[in-house]
Amino acid sequence: MNRLRFWFLFPARALNGLLFLIPLGIIVLYSFMTRGTYGGQGSPLTIESYQRLFDPLYLSILLRSFWIAGISTAISLLFGFPLALFIATAAKHRGAYLNLVMLPFWTSFLVRTYAWMFLLRDTGLINTVLQSFGVIGEPIPMLYNDAAVVLGLVYGYLPFMVLPISSTLEKVDPALLEAAADLGATPWVALWKVIVPLAMPGIVAGSVLVFIPCLGAYLTPDLLGGGKSIMIGNIVQNQFTSARDWPFGSALSLVLTALVMGLLWIFVKKGGQKAL
Amino acid sequence: MKRRTLFFMGLSGLAGCSGRRKKRLNVFNWSDYVGPNTIARFEYDHDAEVKYLVYESNEEMLAKVFSGNSGWDVVFPSNYYVQPMAESHLLAPLDRSLLTNLGNLAEAFRAPGWDPKLEWCVPYMWGAAGIAYNKRVSPPPKAWADLWDKRFGGRMTMLDDAAEALGAALKMLGLPLNSPDAGHLDRAKRELIRQKPLVRAYLNAEARDQLVAGDLLASQLWATTTSQAMEASNSLEFVFPEEGFSVYADCAVILRESDQHELAHQFLDYLLRANVAASIVQHSKTATVNEAGRLLLPPALGKNPVLYPPAGILSRGEWFAPLPPAAQRLRDRLWTEIKSA
Repeated sequence: MNRLRFWFLFPARALNGLLFLIPLGIIVLYSFMTRGTYGGQGSPLTIESYQRLFDPLYLSILLRSFWIAGISTAISLLFGFPLALFIATAAKHRGAYLNLVMLPFWTSFLVRTYAWMFLLRDTGLINTVLQSFGVIGEPIPMLYNDAAVVLGLVYGYLPFMVLPISSTLEKVDPALLEAAADLGATPWVALWKVIVPLAMPGIVAGSVLVFIPCLGAYLTPDLLGGGKSIMIGNIVQNQFTSARDWPFGSALSLVLTALVMGLLWIFVKKGGQKAL
Repeated sequence: MKRRTLFFMGLSGLAGCSGRRKKRLNVFNWSDYVGPNTIARFEYDHDAEVKYLVYESNEEMLAKVFSGNSGWDVVFPSNYYVQPMAESHLLAPLDRSLLTNLGNLAEAFRAPGWDPKLEWCVPYMWGAAGIAYNKRVSPPPKAWADLWDKRFGGRMTMLDDAAEALGAALKMLGLPLNSPDAGHLDRAKRELIRQKPLVRAYLNAEARDQLVAGDLLASQLWATTTSQAMEASNSLEFVFPEEGFSVYADCAVILRESDQHELAHQFLDYLLRANVAASIVQHSKTATVNEAGRLLLPPALGKNPVLYPPAGILSRGEWFAPLPPAAQRLRDRLWTEIKSA
């Protein structure tokens, strides 16, 4: 029985080892090497890349990335929770609603981000419509600022918030709400004291699933932020492209990975994995 | 057992098919840098097979080629990478006796500063960065300093490129484009941070559509990108800034690792033919270094002052040159400071 189990798990483990551990090992190795002239890496071994991480410049960008990711997660929760509640308590078409939430995944994230650019531009749909109705005279600059970046992140990762919350809410027994009402709780009180605590594993899971990709985002800040407000993901990307400093890029991405793993560890401690 | 044998026989059969006697050349070039028939015609003329793939940045190409067994025969680095690549023993010396069409090159490219004897490279396309602007801006910009002026009201972009953006600031300050001096670079950085509130975004090719649509009034942009935008809109104009501007050329080189030196030379010589060069730029709308080819073009393209500025203007241009590693790293760090300011 155990042998069988071993062989059935073997492909998954081998794949995991090949596609995850080996590249990760290479990144660890690179991060201790010296920058090559054209990218790449060379000897001697050094911890210089790690020392550079303590440069206030990179720390402030890291801090900014946490801030942007945190705001995006909070807004996702604000919009995602009511939506999840609506889907979980819907009498009919629950599956259809869930499919609608996932519908955007049918197209590439890049294309959808470009679509936002066309909506937000000075000559984009929103400004054109507002101008034609005389609501505004001059177009409102909506693209290329932090708000546009947060909008893009919330839009991109909202489904990751909705799905785990709705799956925990579906398991909530409606009788509990009836009991709360019988005992004199207003709907608001019932929401706060009954539904939210029961949905907590889903809320934690959703928040982690939104926060992590937001923290490492580079496409959205680049396209919707116009390169004016960069995040840590942009710095990593730049090290592997125009800066041609692979060791520093490797060290940066390892630190980012370590931070994400720290977050996941907290998440597992809180028992949120059940919601997944 | 039998099945497995059959499988391997099939595999070796496939390998046999692709290994026909045709000579094979592997060419790695920038995107949009050949015409639709350029490669097919070379294959036909020389009874060869060409594997042709494209890249979007020097770094992307260098990362592959640097290993020394990338499998490519001909690549197209920008001029400031030719010497460093030669010094790293990545390039094969050119045999000029096999390049019969070198005489088609424009005067300026027969003995360029980065390879005066054309030992390593054959120049292919060239370009410059300046200011693209909407004609309704008054007065029109003439100098980089104008991009520090409020009249564009936040509807202005700079290139998302450390060398180009810092280069514009260095030129505005009257400093050399390729200055490795920390003091110079720091002054340029401070100028760009001062300018940042006026900058809508740091964009490269994306600026083109927004200039055409009228979102943007002015952009630091490449001349080739601007000439494409000017085809789509009559309201745009381009100026080579008074203080001077950056110039670059993309050049064909043969890699040392190549075992097809003769065929590679034939390919380079083929690209140098006047009619081939002309048909390529009719498609790519970029600026060819091939004078004989340029003369075959319709005047709107071959005499376009944005692509081919007169000598008086061109004399203000400064070629990009390789920076020492320490200055490169400093430049990148300053650029990060600017972008996170």
